Amino acid sequence: MRTMTPPSPDGATSPADGGGKRSVLAEWQLALPLALAFASIFLAPLLMLVGVSFFNDDKITQPGFGQWAKFLGDPFSYKVIADTMLLGLKTVCATIVIGYPLALIYLDASPRLQKVLIFIIVMPLLLSVVVRTFAWIVVLGREGVVNTLLMQFGIISEPLRLLQTELGLVISLTQIEMPLMLLPLISVMSRLDPNLRDASSALGASRWRTLFKVIVPLSMPGLVAGCLLVFASSTTAFISQTVIGGVRLIYLPLLIWQQSLVVFNWPFAAVVSLTLLVSVLTVVSALSYLGRRSGGYVHG
Amino acid sequence: MFSRRRLLAGATALGGAAFLPSIAHAKGSVAAAIYPGTWEEAFRAIVAPALKKKDSVDLELQPLFAVDQVAKAKAARGAPPFDAFVLDPGPRITAIQDGLFDKIDIKKISNASKLPAGLVDEWGIGVNAQVVGIAYNPKKVPAPKGWKDLFTDPWVSRLGLTGFQTTFGTVSLIEIAKVFGGSETNIEPALVELKKVLPKIAAVGQPAAMPGLFQQGQCDVIYTNTQTVATLKGRGVDIEFVKPETGAITFLTTLHIAKGATDVENAYKYLDIVAGKEVQEALTKPPYNFIPVNKDVPLPDYLPMKNLDEMSSFVRHDWAKINPLRAGWIEKFNKEMAK
Repeated sequence: MRTMTPPSPDGATSPADGGGKRSVLAEWQLALPLALAFASIFLAPLLMLVGVSFFNDDKITQPGFGQWAKFLGDPFSYKVIADTMLLGLKTVCATIVIGYPLALIYLDASPRLQKVLIFIIVMPLLLSVVVRTFAWIVVLGREGVVNTLLMQFGIISEPLRLLQTELGLVISLTQIEMPLMLLPLISVMSRLDPNLRDASSALGASRWRTLFKVIVPLSMPGLVAGCLLVFASSTTAFISQTVIGGVRLIYLPLLIWQQSLVVFNWPFAAVVSLTLLVSVLTVVSALSYLGRRSGGYVHG
Repeated sequence: MFSRRRLLAGATALGGAAFLPSIAHAKGSVAAAIYPGTWEEAFRAIVAPALKKKDSVDLELQPLFAVDQVAKAKAARGAPPFDAFVLDPGPRITAIQDGLFDKIDIKKISNASKLPAGLVDEWGIGVNAQVVGIAYNPKKVPAPKGWKDLFTDPWVSRLGLTGFQTTFGTVSLIEIAKVFGGSETNIEPALVELKKVLPKIAAVGQPAAMPGLFQQGQCDVIYTNTQTVATLKGRGVDIEFVKPETGAITFLTTLHIAKGATDVENAYKYLDIVAGKEVQEALTKPPYNFIPVNKDVPLPDYLPMKNLDEMSSFVRHDWAKINPLRAGWIEKFNKEMAK
């Protein structure tokens, strides 16, 4: 067995580990190809996107702030931004409410059951998002599984409207995004020392107290990582949003698609894309700030 | 672990594979954009083998919607990713205005003489007609007579709508506007009427989702083309086509050669074979259900016309007038329909 040195609390490598300045330089050089790749395939197009947004006309000939003024001066834009962010937050909340207990069950399950559970959790990722989305049409439709069952049991007399509603969209996004919440959560939770739970109950804490005082704080990094992934993915899930939500629920990705591919107004599409990017990054930064603060629980 | 020998063998195979397209190219190939779905399936099954057999040209199909083709060709700035476009009237005009086509030399398309006048011009050839009207589920609702009926019970509560993103959606909404006092350039009356009945309407969806929503019973009345109706019917869906009392709508699907195309001669061969009798006849049959435009091919009996000449009485639209207004209409539709 290799002996492992515990990492220092701030995660930094001490100069004594690998030859001081020279090794730092070597590491920097090793990262250069990736940095160059990022600069060329991510940063350059992003800068072009910013550049295109500062043109007034769809032929991209007259520089100006016209498209920004049009977007930011329209109250409808703020409604769409708010709806998009709220959709992400609702999906995050729903994935936590369903995903966290599932992760706890996984933690207590036998290794054989764990294998079955991990297969079930990962399975949605193996299917195309288009297939998953259309499957939800079959489930939530007027003559779909849910309505048929509810009507057969006499719970409702008229079919419920589930498709093309925000509720239906959140339900389907919760299933579609669930692996993104569960995988980081399970990865962090399965590294928790089981003795901590035993110690907590030996000291007289109830199961709930152990959950909220020991397990939840220690699983925070996984939970925050899951929230980041689910939020970023659900706010940009164009196919699910438009197919399940319909076009009366308008989110930023639909506006981008309309402006870039139907109307060919690329400057306006660039403005909406940058708005989506900034809004998602703001929420994601806030979440990762919380994550960094919660890191103190684990190492502190 | 990979041994050096296996690695070398793999690299050679990969390197060899890299030469494959150029080998195919040497025999002759053409890259053509094609609508995803039925069009792609039909062209893969019928046009590609026909082109290979007649001219030894390989057909490489790139599934892209009309608007995506124009967007890609615009973004490529003179080096289009395909040699031939397939477009509806709206995107066709945008592409002409943006200089994305090469003018065609009609002498190189022998089958052009088999197409009715008006289907061939300096920019391309018409290869398929689309007829748009109302489709309904005969087991759920009675047959509507026209566009106005869609706004009354029992149809309104079973109605599935799409917006101005597609050609068939745009022209249907224009026809709705006309029956309520609007015109080709004034769709306001349609939006006013839609807003009145909005809470009752069964679905307002993406065009691509509509056949699925109809099949699942989410809505029982939609506006669509005869091809979608015939395809759904072929799958056992209860669906019938109605020609509205104000007339069915028609528009052409056209093929064009991209400016800067790498295989211009092969692109001509492709256009010629698609307009030819054999291909048009095969495309007309189920499950593809195209409306043929070659004068030698008889029309299928489920269509609301006996011959191509009758289509001259169908409703047509001027996309040069519609295109500049469309962005505003889409914006308006978003705002009026948003929950």
